[in-house]
Amino acid sequence: MSGEVVVFTIVSAMVLFGALGVVSTKNVGHAALYLLITLISVAGIFILLLAEFLALVQILIYGGAITIVLFFGLMLTRIDEFSSIKDTVQRPVAIVISFLLLSAIATPFLQETLTEKSLVESSLRTLGHELFTQWLIPFEVASLVLLVALIGAIVVGKDD
Amino acid sequence: MGTVAWIIPVSSIVAFLIVALGQNSSRKLPLITLFATIIGFIAFIVLSNALLQNGTQTFEITWLKTKEVMLIWGITLDPLTVTMLGLITLTAAGVQMYSLVYMKNDSRLNWYFAVHSLFLASMITLVLANNLILIYIAWELVGVCSYLLIGFWWEKRSAAEAAKKAFITTRIGDVGLLIGIILLFTETHTFNLSEIFSAASDGEISQTTITFSTLLILLGALGKSAQFPFHVWLPDAMEGPTPVSALIHAATMVVAGVYLIARCLPLFELSEISMTILLVLASITALLGGVIALVMTDLKKILAYSTITDLAFMMIALSCGGIVPSVFHLIIHGFAKAALFLGAGSITHGSGETDIRKLGGLKNKMPVTALCFSLSSLSLIGIPPLGGFFSKEGILEVLNHEYGIPLLLIGLLIAFLKACYLGRLSFFVFFGKESKSSSNAHESPKLMLLPIMLFTTLTTLSGLLLFSYGKYDGFSMFLNQEAAHAINFLHPITISSILVSLIGLLISWNIAKGKSIPGINILMKSKAIQVPIRNLFYIDNIYQWFINAIILSFGRIIALIDRQVVNDKLVDGTASILNYSSRTFRYLQTGKMYNYALGMTFGVAGLAVLNIIWQFIL
Amino acid sequence: MELIYFELLSAMLFCIGVYGVLARKHAVLVLMSIELILNAVTINAVAYATHVDGAGITGQIIAIFIITIAAAEFGLALAIILRLYAQQSNANLDEANRMKW
Repeated sequence: MSGEVVVFTIVSAMVLFGALGVVSTKNVGHAALYLLITLISVAGIFILLLAEFLALVQILIYGGAITIVLFFGLMLTRIDEFSSIKDTVQRPVAIVISFLLLSAIATPFLQETLTEKSLVESSLRTLGHELFTQWLIPFEVASLVLLVALIGAIVVGKDD
Repeated sequence: MGTVAWIIPVSSIVAFLIVALGQNSSRKLPLITLFATIIGFIAFIVLSNALLQNGTQTFEITWLKTKEVMLIWGITLDPLTVTMLGLITLTAAGVQMYSLVYMKNDSRLNWYFAVHSLFLASMITLVLANNLILIYIAWELVGVCSYLLIGFWWEKRSAAEAAKKAFITTRIGDVGLLIGIILLFTETHTFNLSEIFSAASDGEISQTTITFSTLLILLGALGKSAQFPFHVWLPDAMEGPTPVSALIHAATMVVAGVYLIARCLPLFELSEISMTILLVLASITALLGGVIALVMTDLKKILAYSTITDLAFMMIALSCGGIVPSVFHLIIHGFAKAALFLGAGSITHGSGETDIRKLGGLKNKMPVTALCFSLSSLSLIGIPPLGGFFSKEGILEVLNHEYGIPLLLIGLLIAFLKACYLGRLSFFVFFGKESKSSSNAHESPKLMLLPIMLFTTLTTLSGLLLFSYGKYDGFSMFLNQEAAHAINFLHPITISSILVSLIGLLISWNIAKGKSIPGINILMKSKAIQVPIRNLFYIDNIYQWFINAIILSFGRIIALIDRQVVNDKLVDGTASILNYSSRTFRYLQTGKMYNYALGMTFGVAGLAVLNIIWQFIL
Repeated sequence: MELIYFELLSAMLFCIGVYGVLARKHAVLVLMSIELILNAVTINAVAYATHVDGAGITGQIIAIFIITIAAAEFGLALAIILRLYAQQSNANLDEANRMKW
């Protein structure tokens, strides 16, 4: 049992624990915190995948910005039952469907054989180079998207 | 020369379009029609000259060419065509001139002349055509024009009914014609007449095909030329204006059937059965027409039945293979009947009467009409030296040649009947005591008399066509390259035919004067004979019964199916099914987002699962 | 660490996210579940980038873009939820059903 496997098991357990918490807790605030756990654990997964920069970005953006915005959103939509909310009527069906989906997705994964390579370390340099040459246009478009989302959010949120 | 030939129908079509589209604009438009017709006549003169110089020619413009079928605008300029061209353009010109006066107060004059142009174009195309498809197209068009013109005064119920009757009766024949044409096509793979004839004479077409196709073509000809059993439409067609009757139902359209058989004679001669059936039906028609004409009292109806008889006479000649006497009689009859019909119109115009019993002694008040009418009648009856004598002689001679004494006697009987009823007509109307209507009569205007005089002259002098002038070697050589047979005035046939006509005239003269002849008296008084004849031998009644019992009841069933099955179940039913299902399925739109998300996920998950199962099955 | 583990982890996270979208009544909770889904996809992409021969660094680039877009979408979605809240004074998806039959 290499150390890697152990670490992976722990981190993925945390991910799944957090995720399950998000979807099943009765307390809304707890749900947000579970989400934070999940996001941070996913950053851990990224480190396991030798994508350190991504892990950083994950924590910064998700854990930093998005979680705060999330809390704001929760507070602004003043929920009466902050600590005990109910789920929708279709909970049983949703469980079934999710299991079905899981099996449907997992089965091909279990069958496939992609040529594996040994883990390669990818440097930040390569990432930056790729981003600004090969993927320049999507990069610019992404910035446009952010702009549009920004303006859109302001417009939609106005109180006319 | 091809262009010259094509000018005739094209100019008339152009005239048709101009006059029809500009109907409400000017009252002078009919002159365009007349102009186009005169162009046609001039073209005829040019073409006949060219024919005498150069012989038969053919011109073709290919319209549609596929692997199996070629549709060609093809013209053949041979003696038969050119003869017909002359007859058609000249009669049309005369009748149109007459119509300018006769119909001048009609509100829809322009439409009348427009259809005249269309008719001329179609009729010309029919005689010019060298392939069966073009003939068929022109055939149908001619029928349409006849329908439009018979029903010209459609406000009158009887006229509308007559037009419908004419069209439907000829339609039955037309179906036969089309099937015959297609039958020939399946064996010869061409519509071109000369190709079909050469294939037939080479023995490439099976005898059954020849027999059936000629019988079917015969069907078409019988319909169009108003022979038994399709003769019922022609007397009713007299509802149309008189110039129309003169042009279409005497001189041109009804001879289309005779023309078709004359054209296809090489084919017909290969089938004994068709020729015999033609002979039988034509003889029945001739006797039928002649007998009924004896009891009719309406001016135009007598002439209508006379037309039926004369057409039958031409058909009889054709069935004996005598194309020359038949076509000669066609020309003579064309001009004579046109003159007679136009004269009848003149009588009606002058005296306001159409019943011959109410007219008498009209020759005092309408001398020109009387003279022309009588001369044309005499020509038709066949008194020498008028033109009709030669044609009658020719027909009787060929009848005797082919079938001997029995048929000759029938021919003589037909001639006798012709003399009787035409004589009766003229004597009743023009001679004898003046009736009240006659004394108030007045002669018709010059423009109306001119065509009548022209036609009368042509029919009386047409005997001259038998002689040779320059390149023209006499009608017999011109038409069919056969030597004309000399008229021998001492031959028994000639003598008996003249005798028979004179006896007929004598009898009708006496009947008109009111004297009673013993034998004829019995015929006239006996109810058993008179009633069936006056009821037209009940043929119309039989047809009407058939239509009511079979066709209309079938129609009612179909209408029921249409209303209840197609309309209620299929059309309305589809709509109500849609309505019902939409009202049931709309509840799927709950408005809640997670329901929609469930649907989407269900779809994706379902597809993925199906995919996996599929992979495991295969 | 083999690819299959990451793939399975990603699949499970994805399905948990799907369950959350379908089963939660409050709009913001649905949004959180969507974030879970996006993260699952990101893990998958990066796993491919690292483990598969010849994939280059594309997976990580994609991951960056996913994170960017997710952030943008999150903000916009919250704005919409706030409007919804303004309409019906709570953010329950149960009551947001006016576009129904």
